[in-house]
Amino acid sequence: MSRQRPLTALDEVVGRLQRRHGPAAVRWGGGPAPAESWSTGIPVLDEVLPRGLPCGRLAVLTGERGRATGRLTLLQALAARASRSMEVAYVDLAGTLDPGFLADLGADLDACYVVRPPGRALGPGLAMARALVAAGVPWLAVALGGGARREPGWEHALSALVGAVEGRGAVACVSSPSPPAAPLAYASSLTVACAPLDWQLAHGDVVGLRVRLRVTKSKVGGVENEGALLLRYPRPHAPAEVVGLPAVVEEPVVEPVAPPAAVTLPALPAAEAERALA
Amino acid sequence: MPRILCARFEHLGLLAAWRRHPELQAEAVVVGGAPVLRLPVLAASAAAQAAGVRPGQPLRQAQQLCPTAVFVDLDVEAADRLREAALGELCAVVPSVEMGDELAYADLSGHHAQHPGEAAWAAAAARALTRGLGVAPAVGVAGSRFTAWMAARVSTPRHVRRVRPGEEAAFLAPLPTGLLPVDAAILARLGTLGLDCLGAVAALSPADLGRQFGADAGLAVHRFARGEDEAPVTPATAPRTLVERRVIEGGAADRELLSRCAERACADLGGRLRERGLSAGRLGLVLEGEAGPVAAGTRVPPAPAGSAAEIWAAVLGLLGALDPTGPVTGLRLEVGELSTASGRQVELWRRGDAERDAVAHAVARLQDRFGTETVVRPRLTLDPGDLPERRFSWEPAAPLVQVGR
Repeated sequence: MSRQRPLTALDEVVGRLQRRHGPAAVRWGGGPAPAESWSTGIPVLDEVLPRGLPCGRLAVLTGERGRATGRLTLLQALAARASRSMEVAYVDLAGTLDPGFLADLGADLDACYVVRPPGRALGPGLAMARALVAAGVPWLAVALGGGARREPGWEHALSALVGAVEGRGAVACVSSPSPPAAPLAYASSLTVACAPLDWQLAHGDVVGLRVRLRVTKSKVGGVENEGALLLRYPRPHAPAEVVGLPAVVEEPVVEPVAPPAAVTLPALPAAEAERALA
Repeated sequence: MPRILCARFEHLGLLAAWRRHPELQAEAVVVGGAPVLRLPVLAASAAAQAAGVRPGQPLRQAQQLCPTAVFVDLDVEAADRLREAALGELCAVVPSVEMGDELAYADLSGHHAQHPGEAAWAAAAARALTRGLGVAPAVGVAGSRFTAWMAARVSTPRHVRRVRPGEEAAFLAPLPTGLLPVDAAILARLGTLGLDCLGAVAALSPADLGRQFGADAGLAVHRFARGEDEAPVTPATAPRTLVERRVIEGGAADRELLSRCAERACADLGGRLRERGLSAGRLGLVLEGEAGPVAAGTRVPPAPAGSAAEIWAAVLGLLGALDPTGPVTGLRLEVGELSTASGRQVELWRRGDAERDAVAHAVARLQDRFGTETVVRPRLTLDPGDLPERRFSWEPAAPLVQVGR
């Protein structure tokens, strides 16, 4: 709020409001608001997202409904990375979390709280997330799926969550099918669209998914940034390896790859698709 | 540097017997039961011990040594009440207390805001114990548990024997080796070797002692003799719940009356918590009717409630949520998940210090409201078998860590 001009009554009022309600209460409209960020540790991701995920803001990963877009895998990979240094709350509204997969991604499961609200209802899920963030959980992941129940008034829980995230300076990342619900799209400070490019195959097996990331909305800079990632699926464990848990897959979990010219996804053979699902 | 207080007093069973039969205070009393029973002596008064009676001896042998002794049963309930009272008094002065039948240990490490120095703090603890037990203990304070115990042994009732930091070895040196808490065979061997005081034992190297008694036992003897016992104070477990009950004459359906009644119960319960230095992690309210409970509910307060005001804030919300189905003739307020109030972490200097407790409380509140299965931690199983879904199991996220006292 500093401009090279004499102090006016308006400045005094704005200053008073900022002192009373926080510096983010009144801001200049032009230009992105600065925000601290949590570095993902993956160079290409930190480049696409401006310096990583913003702290105290809501980030949303979107992907086309009904397709393998990698948004949930990316969310879990980020949560796994965060769990190595801090406590993580994972709100599983999609009902798809496999802790074994999370462990394969290198997560410290002792640092993970998994929240499963009754009936996978969105409102209580967001309220529970707010309570944990307000109590001090510094990293929040919310996985939304098609099955999450949206009861009336859930947007109030979302605004309360946004307030708690901002108040605590937490990192909050929501994975949602696209297009995200209007309140979520509005509350998001950083929206990243995930689109599949093609499957990564090795010896005929699916070992990963190439994904294009595009920043479609950003209040923290970097709008329209683009990049491509390889989300490598952790190799399945043999029973002998399970004994020595937790096993960490070889790094990097997420590798940058050059974006191909075409974005068409080749059809997956039926046998390979079955193996991928298994 | 740790500082440990040890208080030595008569066996709780003996104190309970004296409370029941004050006329026996000058007599030789043996606690354990009738001499015809094949049971050991649990405690003996000074007069009985002067006649040679020792705890652990058969009662029949005690009778032979001291035919005039009065033999009494151990009143377990009375001894527990005494322990509870002493623990409550001592916990109000020192946060970490270990209470035994004849000894109490307390951790005096650090500083206490109300007591200017260690001596004043130890004296306050001794006075608190006197209030709880009805007799004055002999108190010792030192840098280790063993040295504190020895200091309490050489001290006398109504006195505090302090061993200053760094003076442990000098204090222990002239004491007899027979006081070492080691095997009788080792004590006999030390006597044979002519090592009659702890200073002589401390002067030997651990290797020399190891060659005599084995590596572990030799090292233990050496460490005891030098006052290097590192065993901490193991805090006693706090009571699980505290309850206040109010009877409403004639029954009431008026919420205002119920509120006043609940407020009084909160005040009493808050006083009891404050006396014991405890805070409650869970509150339960039961409204009773003529034929049984007419409404009941529980609540996890946002932070552990340790005073009447904090309990009242939670109970007020509970009262509003309850809808009694008939006239209320009684109100029962129960606090559970008790922990030491002074053990709570506060964000005094650095933000984030209290987050661990706060997150644990938030999890407890969410589990209380939505069910224990709603906030869970995944655990990988060691023997998953062939089915992928057996690779992990869900466990309710850790409940609040109970801080013993």
